[in-house]
Amino acid sequence: MLAILFVQIVICNNIHVFGYAPPVLLAYLTMKFHRGSSRESLLVWGFIIGLIFDIFSNTMGKGMAACTLLGMLQPYLLGLFSPTESVDMLVPSFKTLGFDRYIYYVIASLLIFHFFFYLLEDFSFRHPKILLTGTFVSTLMAVLFVILADVITPKDKYVD
Amino acid sequence: MRYLIELYLKYRFWLIFILLEVVSMVTLVKFNKYQGSVYFTTANTVSGAWYSFTSGISSFFDMQAENERLEHENEMLRKRLNDLRSGMKEEDNTVDMLTEKNRNLRDYRFISAHVINATLNRANNVLTIDRGEDDGVKESAGVVCSSGVVGIVYKTSAHYAMVVPLINEKSIVSCKVDIDSTRVFGTLQWQMGSPQFSFLNDIPRHEVVKEGMEVETNGFSDIFPENIPVGKVTKVDDSSDGLSYSLTVKLYTDFAKLRNVSVIADYTRSERKLLEEKVDSMINDK
Repeated sequence: MLAILFVQIVICNNIHVFGYAPPVLLAYLTMKFHRGSSRESLLVWGFIIGLIFDIFSNTMGKGMAACTLLGMLQPYLLGLFSPTESVDMLVPSFKTLGFDRYIYYVIASLLIFHFFFYLLEDFSFRHPKILLTGTFVSTLMAVLFVILADVITPKDKYVD
Repeated sequence: MRYLIELYLKYRFWLIFILLEVVSMVTLVKFNKYQGSVYFTTANTVSGAWYSFTSGISSFFDMQAENERLEHENEMLRKRLNDLRSGMKEEDNTVDMLTEKNRNLRDYRFISAHVINATLNRANNVLTIDRGEDDGVKESAGVVCSSGVVGIVYKTSAHYAMVVPLINEKSIVSCKVDIDSTRVFGTLQWQMGSPQFSFLNDIPRHEVVKEGMEVETNGFSDIFPENIPVGKVTKVDDSSDGLSYSLTVKLYTDFAKLRNVSVIADYTRSERKLLEEKVDSMINDK
């Protein structure tokens, strides 16, 4: 978590592709909760992760709300993209879900997260073009960071 | 209570989710200026629409009382309109009558005004009118009404003016009485007493003055034009020194009921004064 936080603060927060807001790599932590985790704890952890991001990025409230939403949706998204005959304590990764499913899972999660994040940033639907472009650009950047993080982090504990 | 606990246990996930989102949103609105302003603008619009909706409903039920109130207001406004119409007629009459009587009045402009305060029972009565310097009223301007002379402007402010009426002991107006084809001049001065009567002094004893004769302004001063009605002679007395007559004049102006007046704005006064000053200085130089 500290490594992710460090990368978020030092690298991601300084990336402004085409002038859009930086990708939120901290959402990765919410996505990596294993299947069967307590849904309430997912919400609380999502809230805390968002709060940490907000404190270091001066985006008070936006990260908290978006990460809490992701925490709420995570079990549903994981259920949607995980194979039917898989272990109960499955931790989402390339190995557990397979490359395609994992990428879809990451993209879907980050798209929802960034869309909600930029919606709160704009706080209206008056600039749909900026909202959608920001969402897609930041999601793309975040997906690349997630893949990189997955490659370099130690192997997951719960794999089949 | 047990039911509430069961309810919480059943929906705790959603309750926690809503709680955390609400906390996030409050933080968002509180710590971000832009989001805060958008929220308050939207909240104002929403609350405004809501108040408009609820007031629409309540006003529907209050319609009968509102109707009664409006009827009452209409009645009051109609009465006020009638008062204003009659007031306007009176003012028109003042100007028409005076203009008809005196062709010289074409050089004058009349500024309509209302008497907003008046004293009647003092030695030095004054009137306050609701027109001042901003309306073109100047000090020493004459004031008339539909019946005749009222007085002279003493002091002015931007929107008000104080008038010294004929019923002020310090008021002196130069007047005349037409006897056959002869004009007899005198000075009108009031003495503490009835506001209906004043005194025309300095009438030569050889003039045959009778009761019922008209007293008018003589036009000597630059305050009043000639032939403005002042009153009617009701009594002829000797003056205190016995050298002239002192006429008791019943004033045409009813100061107790005075409401609408006109201030005389003299276009030619400055020109006339300038000429007089020029002649004076020429004579003095010689």
